Amino acid sequence: MGTISVDGVTRRLGSTTALRDVSFTVDSGEHVGLFGPNGAGKTSLMQLLSTLASPDDGRIRIDGDEVTPDATAVRAKLGVVSHRPMVYGTLTARENLRLHARLRTVDAERVERVLEDVNLRTHASTRVEDFSHGMTKRLSIARAVLHDPTVLLLDEPYAGLDQRSAMDLQRILTRFDDRTVVIATHDLERAVDDCDRALVLVDGTLERTVSLTDLDRHSFETEYLEAVGRSDLQ
Amino acid sequence: MTDSTAVSYWRTVLEVARKDLRIELRSKQVLNTAAVFALLVVIIFAFSFARTFANIDVVASGALWVAFVFAGTFSVSQSVAVEEADAGLDSLLLVPVDRSAIYVGKVVSNTAFTAAVAVITLGCIVVFLDFTVLPGTTPLLLLVIALAAFGFAATGVLIATITARARLSDLLLPLLLVPLVIPVLLAGVELTRAISEGLPLWRWFRLLLAYDGVLFLIGVALFEYVVER
Repeated sequence: MGTISVDGVTRRLGSTTALRDVSFTVDSGEHVGLFGPNGAGKTSLMQLLSTLASPDDGRIRIDGDEVTPDATAVRAKLGVVSHRPMVYGTLTARENLRLHARLRTVDAERVERVLEDVNLRTHASTRVEDFSHGMTKRLSIARAVLHDPTVLLLDEPYAGLDQRSAMDLQRILTRFDDRTVVIATHDLERAVDDCDRALVLVDGTLERTVSLTDLDRHSFETEYLEAVGRSDLQ
Repeated sequence: MTDSTAVSYWRTVLEVARKDLRIELRSKQVLNTAAVFALLVVIIFAFSFARTFANIDVVASGALWVAFVFAGTFSVSQSVAVEEADAGLDSLLLVPVDRSAIYVGKVVSNTAFTAAVAVITLGCIVVFLDFTVLPGTTPLLLLVIALAAFGFAATGVLIATITARARLSDLLLPLLLVPLVIPVLLAGVELTRAISEGLPLWRWFRLLLAYDGVLFLIGVALFEYVVER
């Protein structure tokens, strides 16, 4: 459960090609990091995986269901955390989660358990507009895992977080280690801890695949800078 | 559509509408702003046109529908702005259900907001412009307001979603929306006049119902493509 297959995917945005013939697979339970400089196509790829956009060419399958024709079936398996919160500021944390629980027929007890998992139980009745950035991010993760998805897609989960909040978030994410995870991030250090494999995108092309098992941060940095053509920065 | 799909579809409609109503009741952005505007329109109409016009009902009807256009435009604009502010719409788009359910839910909530402001305006024109609403015709007038609000919301939600990410979206929305809903407004004005003067209604009702239906079906069919990135 939770296998991803991306086969020859191309995505055009007007006259720009955001992704060009990208292919890879992710095994069930594997944690894969998407890396690349700004504009490399990470967010475009995350939008395609999360069914918020459709590829111009190629196919994406999640557990055998193709993203475009079987989007509804695919969405049931996905939990998505974007760099934007995807929650309503005027509602409380609990109201946001209950809304999604009702939309996905998840029971109310699960809402309380998930609030506990992300350490927001004591702030459940606070409006999200009064939350710190780190708390909002934790709520966003709670929303994403509420329906127990098999695949977690995390787009820049550590963006804008201070060191402590990022560490808290990383600790929370370890609770969902049994899922397939695709994480797009610039944070190389955390990625080495979090991921089994790294995919490096450059100008919309999958430039390199690096196994992160037994690779330290420095070695990965070297590989990464070579892949993005910035060996001079080593 | 299977039974379970239909149940999740209508559940989504209900939850989206309920969420919008809860957000509005908490922030009161649309109701407060539009109600103050409605009051201003009625007072200005009362002090400027009411003295010179022989038929006060025409002035009252004008005030009602001017306030209606503002309330409707402001309502759909705010409703979509709330979705865009923290990407709330994206979270709804990830729910495994036909996306037109989100559109239908938003049409329901915006119909309620616009109709509520129109009813407040109606109260203002009764007080300030001495507009006569006979008890027997009140349900009919409320039905006209509800149908017009539905047609306005059906078009407004779609157009506001299209223009939400555009530069100058606040300018684009009324420019694109108002011409499209002219038949709804015409029917509303004519039906208000016909109700107050006891004229035949069926011709304008037919137009309003047909136009509402067409606008709504277009919205249901296009929403999926409008929200696609």
